[in-house]
Amino acid sequence: MSARRILLVLGKDLRLGPRSPVFLWVLVLPLMITLVLQVAFGDLLDPRPRLGIMDQGDSAVAAAVQQAPGLEVARLGSAEALKAKVAADDLDAGLVLPPGFDAALRAGERPALELYVSGRSAAVDRLVLTATTLDLIRQAAAGVPPLEVEVVALGEEARPIAVRLVPLIAMYALLVAGVFLPSFSLADERERRTLNAVVVSPVRLGEVVAAKGSLGFLLAVPMAVVTLWINQALTGQPLALLVVLVVAGALLVELGLVYGTVAGNVTAVFTLIKGTGFLLLAPTVFYLFPDWPQWIARLFPTYWVINPVYEVTIERAGLGDVWAELVVALGVGALLGVVVAATTRRLRARLAAG
Amino acid sequence: MGEPAIRVEGLRFSYGSLEALRGISFEVAPGEILGFLGPNGAGKSTTIKILTGQLAPGSGRAEVLGRAVAPDDPVLQARIGVCFEEKNLYDAMSGRENLRFFGRLFGIRDLDADGLLAKVGLAERGRDPVSKYSKGMRQRLMMARALVNTPQVLFLDEPTDGLDPVSSRAIRTLIRGEVERGAAVLLTTHDMFEADELSDRVAFINEGRIHAIDTPENLKLQHGRRAVKVRYRQSGSVTEESVPLDAPDAGERLRAAAGHPGLMTIHTEEATLESIFVEITGRALAG
Repeated sequence: MSARRILLVLGKDLRLGPRSPVFLWVLVLPLMITLVLQVAFGDLLDPRPRLGIMDQGDSAVAAAVQQAPGLEVARLGSAEALKAKVAADDLDAGLVLPPGFDAALRAGERPALELYVSGRSAAVDRLVLTATTLDLIRQAAAGVPPLEVEVVALGEEARPIAVRLVPLIAMYALLVAGVFLPSFSLADERERRTLNAVVVSPVRLGEVVAAKGSLGFLLAVPMAVVTLWINQALTGQPLALLVVLVVAGALLVELGLVYGTVAGNVTAVFTLIKGTGFLLLAPTVFYLFPDWPQWIARLFPTYWVINPVYEVTIERAGLGDVWAELVVALGVGALLGVVVAATTRRLRARLAAG
Repeated sequence: MGEPAIRVEGLRFSYGSLEALRGISFEVAPGEILGFLGPNGAGKSTTIKILTGQLAPGSGRAEVLGRAVAPDDPVLQARIGVCFEEKNLYDAMSGRENLRFFGRLFGIRDLDADGLLAKVGLAERGRDPVSKYSKGMRQRLMMARALVNTPQVLFLDEPTDGLDPVSSRAIRTLIRGEVERGAAVLLTTHDMFEADELSDRVAFINEGRIHAIDTPENLKLQHGRRAVKVRYRQSGSVTEESVPLDAPDAGERLRAAAGHPGLMTIHTEEATLESIFVEITGRALAG
């Protein structure tokens, strides 16, 4: 393998890219899907935690909460109205301050305080709201607050549908660039027989395949990042996100190379992708239907890359939380690497015989 | 005679149970054109695929420029040029871009693409996308592509197939130019006229075997018949007569024909490579 020759073929493909409708489709499709889903479900992720507050007295805490940065605060007239909004997930959390709350604090009593949280709110939002509220009460009490906060979950214990769509959108971006582009590019060159011309030059078929894979990878990871960003899901630890996207991109590119080396022409690539696309996207459906037995999702190879993406972007997980899944993904990737090597050898023989 | 540019001895190859080459042997010297004549499926393309490293040889010996051929030999492939029968160019790229890309694949950074384009008569169209080229222009560009690395051995697979006479002539002139600078050429064709006009020697291949290999003149002498065809007008109709030169009364008949008042034409009657091929192999070249 020569890196120089791989770069030569890759450079040619990148220069030809803007002249190819497929290339443009790869860039535009994930954005179009995002647009459709944004229109259908609104913003996928609200970046600011939403807190409702019902002050039955005249608490300084309520005023302080309203001044707190990074929160979207709404004041409500009754505890019932507040609970209803939290249960409907119109608010991430609601705080009811009983009459005489400030005085009880100052007297060193232990006033009970209930923080209602939406079952569909993000764990990180609950954490932020709880910590912020406690901090403000500590300021109001001028010391350690002598109170107990009971967190009560209201409403369905699940993410909103818009959040549950994030794995599907991210997977789509990775799939289109990572699987479709290399497979289409290889099959197109085979169909036009330009591959035959390249392999009688000093360039090896393996180098051409590596160049096609690099093309898919170079587009898949940035497209996934851009797609997550425009869906406001580019959150979590940057390093963890980069690692999971790199592993996901590499695995899907390998799958694309298998398709591209097996398919005899572009039509066959379309047929393969149409025939197996559901299997690749299947794990993302389980996020949409949390009542389904979630273990089934693990049977699909792409689960092991899409779940780390979900955990890192939505649940703010770190690499330590997803390392086991990444190890499985790398194992699947190694297996696919062996398959790509075998199908490349087979393609070499078929090119010569064709 | 120095080292042959191509040496093949007892080469055999099978696609599964189908025996494509059944022990063929031949040599091509530098500066020589060997025409490989045979119908479709005779083994011409298989031979080229083996010699260009696309297929691994089955058994026997196959050498190009003194190296045993093997699949994926970049050293050997850097010294050969291949012109395919199919027009496998990058349509979205211009002629110039195609040549430059292939030049870089051969490690040539400063390729004179414009010079090559001019050589094949495409200087004015070098910046146009190949998708806008005619069939003849594509074929000329294919030839130019085969020459980007100034190859020592050229493999040409039906280089003028389906071309108009002007384009065919341009390609033949180009091939002769390459031979003059010392390149060895293996030319596969089922066009007997092209083989006759271009080749120093021709090999008749059929069903994986070489049935005859010699210069076109020798083959004609060995297998053709020496005769003169005379046409004259007599009693209002045209009469045609063939006079074998080996016949005892040949001189007398020719004198009589020359003195005939209605004489129209006298032609030598020479065997064609096609008729010799049919005589030797028992089948026609086409199909």
